[in-house]
Amino acid sequence: MDFVILSLVMLAIGIYGLLTNRQLIKVFISVELIAVAATLNFVMLASVMGVGLGQAFLILAFSTDTAVSGVILALLVVVSRKYGTSDISKILQTIKDKDESEDEA
Amino acid sequence: MIFEVLAVGLIISAVLALFLEEVIYSVAALAGTFFFVALIFVEYNAIFAAIFTFAAGVGTLAVLFLSGEMLGDKPVNKTSPKRVGILIGAGAVLSLPAIFFSVSGSISADSNIMFGDALWNVRGLDVVLQALVILTIALGIAVVLHEKKRKGGQ
Repeated sequence: MDFVILSLVMLAIGIYGLLTNRQLIKVFISVELIAVAATLNFVMLASVMGVGLGQAFLILAFSTDTAVSGVILALLVVVSRKYGTSDISKILQTIKDKDESEDEA
Repeated sequence: MIFEVLAVGLIISAVLALFLEEVIYSVAALAGTFFFVALIFVEYNAIFAAIFTFAAGVGTLAVLFLSGEMLGDKPVNKTSPKRVGILIGAGAVLSLPAIFFSVSGSISADSNIMFGDALWNVRGLDVVLQALVILTIALGIAVVLHEKKRKGGQ
């Protein structure tokens, strides 16, 4: 069952990318990698155990993944249009500056 | 042997997808990740899963190429070949545990329950956790929209 270790490594890479990347698209790619790790473990475990149902459940997993991707992409477009960048640190700085200027006013 | 090669390719493409500077190259590396996942599914006789991964992967990549080109910030410095080499090396090192280690056998010495059986029988936890994540996201969006509406009302 080498795939368990493989999916764990993929999960670790995804979580590391999620925590360290500043670009929103890279964050989205990290979420995709985490989803790939989960489906990899699920489908291969079902395949090794001879359970055909595992592949059918993959449809459910991909449907959920696609819905989550849609929400993330929609938020990405809204944030990029509003702040003109997809860099999280720049967006946070803009929000902070705006709050400070509102407090002063 | 085929699994090991595919595992190395999968990890290297995942590392490149995350740590390359240009978003377009990252998306291209993510395409490689989907490709290797589908090949691993084929190797494990999960043909249906492989085809579905290809179909869903192509859609995701098309959207990501467009959004990456339109929304992604252009990096000041281009990725040097040396950095690409370092990333490939890091990916190869990270794939070593998947090649040399394996999880199998009984859960404990005095137990007859195999690890695979135990893992399969607690799959429901995944669904519950995923539902919690989706619920959290939905609650977060609802709170943001409510705050926006409240500020708009003032």
